[in-house]
Amino acid sequence: MHGYTLSALAACFAVLGLELAVFRTGLLRRHTYWIAFGIILFFQVLVDGWLTKLSAPIVTYARQHFSGIRFPWDIPVEDYLFGWAMCTLALLLWERQSDPSDQEPEPQPVFRRKSSSLKR
Amino acid sequence: MDRFQYLALLGLCLVGTLPLELALGVRVWRRPARLTRSVLPVAVAFGLYDILAIEAGWWGFNDRYLTGWEVGFGLPVEELAFFLVIPVCGILTIEAVRVRLRRR
Repeated sequence: MHGYTLSALAACFAVLGLELAVFRTGLLRRHTYWIAFGIILFFQVLVDGWLTKLSAPIVTYARQHFSGIRFPWDIPVEDYLFGWAMCTLALLLWERQSDPSDQEPEPQPVFRRKSSSLKR
Repeated sequence: MDRFQYLALLGLCLVGTLPLELALGVRVWRRPARLTRSVLPVAVAFGLYDILAIEAGWWGFNDRYLTGWEVGFGLPVEELAFFLVIPVCGILTIEAVRVRLRRR
């Protein structure tokens, strides 16, 4: 079994689920988030590329536990799922503590379920 | 000095993003409580994930580039630092984007 592949996917779904069911920040619908995500992704490739380069790897991966697909350079593609889940979780936690004065002037989501979740 | 390579890489990430706070004027490091509440849960969750993955043999580390210091349960101190540093860099990034969009 591809343990890393499946667990990284699970991490992504867990973070998505947290946002949809608990946090409800709406962050994933904002341009700000996706622009930041693009920048984060660019620097992830640099840092992760250094960590995983097969010529002198800092982190090594068991061939049987991931897809075996590495791009670009020697970065296992699962790392992008892992990185997305990790960074997005941090951004969501940060976002849900934001002061009203920090909000960018973008429209609030129109559709909102009656919430039984904790609101700060 | 090879054994400090991973830690140095993370240090570089912190130094590289510092101008966002100092020059661009984002307020991330200056909100330590909020930052802690954002990053600590991530470090705990992904630290546990990491411990399980190392235990399961999904990935491992090249001893040559690690200090050898461990947090416990086989978790290298560098990995814990990674789960703290990278989220901080991510938060600095989104705040920087926010500042730039606002000043347009």
